[in-house]
Amino acid sequence: MRRAAVVAGAGLLVQLGASFYWTPLTFIASAAVGLPLVGVGGLLFLRAVVRIMKEKGAL
Amino acid sequence: MLPTLIIAALLAGLAIVALLYFGVDALSQHRWGRVALLVGIVAIPLLVSAGSVSSGVHESSRTSFCLSCHEMQRHGMSLFADNRAALAATHYQNRFVERESTCYSCHTDYALFGGVKAKLNGLRHVWVHYFGEVPEKIALYQPYPSATCLHCHEDARRFVEAPPHQPILGALYDGSTSCLGCHNVAHDKAAVDAHKLWQAK
Repeated sequence: MRRAAVVAGAGLLVQLGASFYWTPLTFIASAAVGLPLVGVGGLLFLRAVVRIMKEKGAL
Repeated sequence: MLPTLIIAALLAGLAIVALLYFGVDALSQHRWGRVALLVGIVAIPLLVSAGSVSSGVHESSRTSFCLSCHEMQRHGMSLFADNRAALAATHYQNRFVERESTCYSCHTDYALFGGVKAKLNGLRHVWVHYFGEVPEKIALYQPYPSATCLHCHEDARRFVEAPPHQPILGALYDGSTSCLGCHNVAHDKAAVDAHKLWQAK
C-alpha cells in the first residue's frame, strides 16, 4: 500500500509540476506520465487489498 | 482561476497521499481507516487527475500554447499582418474570434468529436516537434473545411447579405464551393517577412 501511495503521489507530483507552466512538453508529461502513474497507484492499491483479503481467507 | 484551483487541488491530493503513506499501518487496522486509504490513495488522486487533464486540455487551446513551438512563430506573427484580406489577421485583429484561443477557434471542427480530433492532431504535432522532422512547408492534413467557417458565419447578416455570396450561398452551405476559393490568403506570411504588421494602439 505504501508503494501505491508513492506511485500515486509521484503521478500527482508530475501533474503539479506541469500545472505551473503549460507547454506541449509539460502537457504530454502530465497526460502520458502523471495520469498513468496515478492509475498504476490505484491498481497497486487494489492488488494489495486483494492480497491481504486472500491472506485472511476472505476471498 | 482554473489553473490556481487545479494547483490547489493537486497540492491537497499530494498532502493527503503523503499523510496516508505514513499512516498506512495504523489506518489499515480499522474499517474506516481502510476506507480512508481507498479514498485518499485511489479516489482523490483519480478525481484530481481528471481535473488536471481537463485543465491541460483547456490550456492547450490557448494561442500562447500553440505559438510556444518555434515552428508556429510565423503563423503567430501573421495574426498581426497588415492585410485586411488575410483571414487569420482579420479574425484576430477584429476580434471575430477570442484572441486567447485564436488558433483553436479556426483549427478545430465543430463536429461531435472535433475537439478530440484537434487534440490528437496536436499530439501528432508535439511528437513531430520533439522526435520527428518538421516539414519545410507546414500544411493542413486536409483541405480546410468550409463548415468550420460556417459554424460562425452561416446565418450572419454580413455574410448572407454580401453581394458576392448571394449567387453561391447554396454551394457554400453544401460544401461544393470552398470559402477559401475566394478568401485564399489564410496566413499572410509574406507580410510577416516584409514586417508589414498592424500595431494595436
